[in-house]
Amino acid sequence: MIQIHDISKRFADYEAIKAVDIEVNEGEIYGIIGASGAGKSTLLRLMNLLEVPDCGEVVVDGKNLMAMKPKQLREARKSMGMIFQHFNLVANLTVYDNVEVCLQLANYPKHQRRERVMECLRFVGLAHLEKQYPQSLSGGQKQRVAIARALANEPKVLLCDEPTSSLDPHTTAEILAVLEEINRTLGVTIVIVSHEMEVIQSICHRVSVMADGSVYKTIDLEPQGIPDVDHTPEYFIEKLTGEVSGDA
Amino acid sequence: MPEVLQRYEAEIWQAIGETFAMVGMSILAAIIVGLPVGTLLFLCRKGNLLENRVVFSILNLLVNTIRSFPFLLLVVFLIPFTRFIIGTAIGTAAATVPLSIIAIAHYSRLVEQSLLDVPRGVIEAAKAMGASVVEVVFKFLFVEARSGLVLGLTTSIISFISYSTIMGVVGGGGIGDFAIRYGYQQFMTDLMIYMIIIMVILVQCIQFIGTTVARVIDKR
Ligand SMILES: Nc1ncnc2c1ncn2[C@@H]1O[C@H](COP(=O)(O)OP(=O)(O)O)[C@@H](O)[C@H]1O
Ligand SMILES: [Mg+2]
Repeated sequence: MIQIHDISKRFADYEAIKAVDIEVNEGEIYGIIGASGAGKSTLLRLMNLLEVPDCGEVVVDGKNLMAMKPKQLREARKSMGMIFQHFNLVANLTVYDNVEVCLQLANYPKHQRRERVMECLRFVGLAHLEKQYPQSLSGGQKQRVAIARALANEPKVLLCDEPTSSLDPHTTAEILAVLEEINRTLGVTIVIVSHEMEVIQSICHRVSVMADGSVYKTIDLEPQGIPDVDHTPEYFIEKLTGEVSGDA
Repeated sequence: MPEVLQRYEAEIWQAIGETFAMVGMSILAAIIVGLPVGTLLFLCRKGNLLENRVVFSILNLLVNTIRSFPFLLLVVFLIPFTRFIIGTAIGTAAATVPLSIIAIAHYSRLVEQSLLDVPRGVIEAAKAMGASVVEVVFKFLFVEARSGLVLGLTTSIISFISYSTIMGVVGGGGIGDFAIRYGYQQFMTDLMIYMIIIMVILVQCIQFIGTTVARVIDKR
């Protein structure tokens, strides 16, 4: 689905990506893990050409993005969703409008927009919040809206840059469950950049380990499933004191 | 109504009308030209969507130059240009030329600053969704910066009122000119004070409206 071939990228005199080769297969959840500054985000942003590589090839769904004219590239991006660590919603638009913008950009038929927006919001479980503004949502809810927005135009690929890194463990698990469901039920190919082991281990089918702008190794994984995180008072007390609290 | 106001009622209404005409033209120029110029300044900046050092430097220099002119000198300096555009350099219509020029320079800078406050991530998301530059501007930048744009315009309008008060030098008229000619030069201090009160009320109203609108449309 995505072929990155011999890609390099430098910022001024800093080599952020050094001759990287990776191939993401259709229908898989592909992880990219590494320490902060390893070049993970840059590599992800090369996949939709938000960052233009100095050399190499980026092929998505059989099409060479680097050979495209600006207009063609914009069209190609419309079939690639992207979500971010800090959600990047439009704060002055309601939940509904945030999702609808994606359809406007894609020239989605007008009379089907409402239905499609609500369908996406139902998918992430937020249909009841359509009239709210992002400011009144929790982090997890904001990320769900961002996911709904990214899905609206029925993309084949979903690029995720640290999608859970500003969320607590419980919300992280919820978001991972949504991503896993998108992959399983809609067949969307997903690339997840993260520095968190648990995120990668729970849902990825393959992972590339990055450092210093290079991919060290790509490993096949058996997704271990999303951990149950249940932050009850008993859980915290047990963790902190080692005592299993009785039913007081 | 005080007797002095009654006596000069017709002139006062005319002065108010002239002020509205001059300030109104300035607002139009600010919105029609200043908004695009400010947006272009933002877009051409290093690291932004239309990064272009030449265009940015030229616009930046132009805006700075106009804004650094003492306004009275700008008016005088522009007389040949005004005469070319309007046919005369004297009167209310002629006064709108230098006022519009300073309005454009003033508001475009405030537009640029409002747009700089939009989180980069929002622009990133827009680009990732396949938005063109025009779509980024209208569907994302202006939406996200709208309360800053309104507050900036409010600040600008109040400056335009202040600039308009000295247009008497080219026969532009207006409340400020009236206050000086009748109130100050003919020693009718009470008349001058009434004119100042009108200006104060005008500015208060504009600031109140601007602040309220900006607050209501700000959902951040
Ligand atoms: N636009 C940029 N300009 C200059 N340096 C950058 C830019 N983007 C990233 N870098 C540098 O490239 C390196 C990799 O960044 P990034 O891909 O964000 O790493 P990661 O996501 O793995 O933390 C970092 O050292 C960062 O400072
Ligand atoms: Mg990163």
